Amino acid sequence: MNTFLSRNRLIFLAYIGMLLLVLITAFFSPGFLSASNLRSTFILASFVGIVALGQTFVIIGGGIDLSIPWVLNSAAVLMTLLCAGQDLPLIWVVPLLLAGGGLIGLLNGAGVALLGVPPIIMTLAANVILQGLILVFTGGTPTPAAPDMIKFLSVGRIRGIPVIALIWTALTVLAWLLLSKSAFGRHLYAVGTNVTVARYSGVPATRTTILTYVISGMTAALGGILLTGYSGVAYLGMGDSYLFTTVAAVAIGGAPILGGSGHYIGTVAGALVLTILTGLLPALNLSSGALLVVYGAVILLTVSIGSETFSEMWASASNRRKRIKEGTENG
Amino acid sequence: MNSSSTQLQSDQTLSMQSRLLAHAPFLVACSMLVVIVAIYGSLQTGVFTIDEINLNTAAAMTLMLAATGQTIVLLRGGIDLSIGGMISLGTVIAATRFGEEPANILLWSAIILAIGFGIGALTGLLISVLRLQPFLVTLAGWSILNGIALMILPTDGGKVPEWWIGSGYLEFLGLGTPVWILLALIVFWCWFRATRLCTIIKATGSSEKSAFLSGVSITRINIITYGLSGFFAALASLYLTTQIGGGSPNIGTDYILPSVAAAIIGGVSLFGGRGHLFGTIVGAYILTLIGNLVFVLRVSSYWQPVMSGVILLLAVLASSYAEQKARKRGS
Repeated sequence: MNTFLSRNRLIFLAYIGMLLLVLITAFFSPGFLSASNLRSTFILASFVGIVALGQTFVIIGGGIDLSIPWVLNSAAVLMTLLCAGQDLPLIWVVPLLLAGGGLIGLLNGAGVALLGVPPIIMTLAANVILQGLILVFTGGTPTPAAPDMIKFLSVGRIRGIPVIALIWTALTVLAWLLLSKSAFGRHLYAVGTNVTVARYSGVPATRTTILTYVISGMTAALGGILLTGYSGVAYLGMGDSYLFTTVAAVAIGGAPILGGSGHYIGTVAGALVLTILTGLLPALNLSSGALLVVYGAVILLTVSIGSETFSEMWASASNRRKRIKEGTENG
Repeated sequence: MNSSSTQLQSDQTLSMQSRLLAHAPFLVACSMLVVIVAIYGSLQTGVFTIDEINLNTAAAMTLMLAATGQTIVLLRGGIDLSIGGMISLGTVIAATRFGEEPANILLWSAIILAIGFGIGALTGLLISVLRLQPFLVTLAGWSILNGIALMILPTDGGKVPEWWIGSGYLEFLGLGTPVWILLALIVFWCWFRATRLCTIIKATGSSEKSAFLSGVSITRINIITYGLSGFFAALASLYLTTQIGGGSPNIGTDYILPSVAAAIIGGVSLFGGRGHLFGTIVGAYILTLIGNLVFVLRVSSYWQPVMSGVILLLAVLASSYAEQKARKRGS
């Protein structure tokens, strides 16, 4: 139990931080804990959480996906155009767009894993190319409204529970199964820790890396489709903020940017923290500029807590003998 | 190798080839620039005039200055996303504090440059002391600085005096201010690349461990490289105010990823240790001239991001190909 706790301490800290934040927010804005407010917080956090699922997988594998904003935006724009406000076409449009997102991920992954292009550059190029293509395709004009079915999935409720929270919960369980209970998860942590060692140990490293980008493309597309239901329409630039928020959610959730550890369970806390902060600051009468400052400070704080320097202090506090042994090995 | 050729000859061709390979990414960038200029020149009259050079250099200068700092950080093996926040902050401080007095303006320009260097140095110190990943620290830095810029000036506005704007358009010997800044950058780099500091930065970028074992203070190198990056971002913001005539609290975000792209297109390695500023300058010209190319080709301006994405991919594929070849040769 002790090793379990220390291995996942960053995730625990993220949840403790989230609870503190909830208490602070409830103190400053008493209406925060009302059912309707909690619901809207959950709905907003779901979009971040769903899109950040893929980012979590990519980052655990040692990469990063900067193509999320325009994969999301493309899916949203194409969904509204292809459906033209009707529910029926969704039967083929949604699978098609998820496959399309997966295809972009496949190209990203192939560039990274097969051609050796650095992930930042590969996904950045994919992002600007997609941005341009969608702009050319739509000519910059707005698109039809979202179908009612999508609106139901984004903001509708079943017995008082937001539908999107159910989708998010299902995806969280799926991500947990993939990361903690499947061979793919074990391969992913191995690849993220050291790709060369993983390869020599018989891990299908190339396939694993490509799969993470495919997952990221699919969750970004799904996020785009669902977000359209929330805003009612698809608009150009709707995905831009998701680059920062997904990386921030993963970082706050305790996954190191170099990969090899972390868990989607942490990212869930990260997505909630970011969303609660967005709700807290208007209650404190703070501007959007202050929100960005607080975001930055929170990221800085969490990565500092997760840093090697702090990890060593943690280790020395919890297990002094073990640290002395490590010290003699290192020096 | 062909056994009939003498050892000496094969050695010579080998070193010749490996030298060519080492410069391959830069040469690829130069040939892309030549192709772009050739297409542009064949479709538009008056391209090869001093006026046109002045105009395009003016359009590229902010990116060039921002990318100069980015190049230094990339050579050290890091990355600096905070320059976006610094550029925004610089423009809003200038737009709100400059006034009309030349002495006051000089003072505030110096303060902005000092803030740039100081915040960069602080970033470098944080990265070293807490052993953090530059990507996340500078992402947080971007958010914080952008937030402060928004708190100073919530929307585009403020103003700088006419003569300050005019100083961006002065001409001396037929060459405009931006061209003289460019020449100053080139002179700076010719001096800087020969200094001990630059050698140490590149050595640290190639292998932090060997540099540390050779007695290099990594903390000092981080403080200097990120400090210089902040300084050049501040310089870029001062130049940018002559272009936009005021402050813009979010404008810096548009320069973060292009500054990385310009350096990468110019052959600077994302893994540190390899590249030079001349490549970055060529990269910045390429990214700027694509806009002109789209205009003379009479296609939708939305093709611009598509083209820059494709060029970025081509450039990075060329350099990773050259790297693989060089590695094979080396082993």
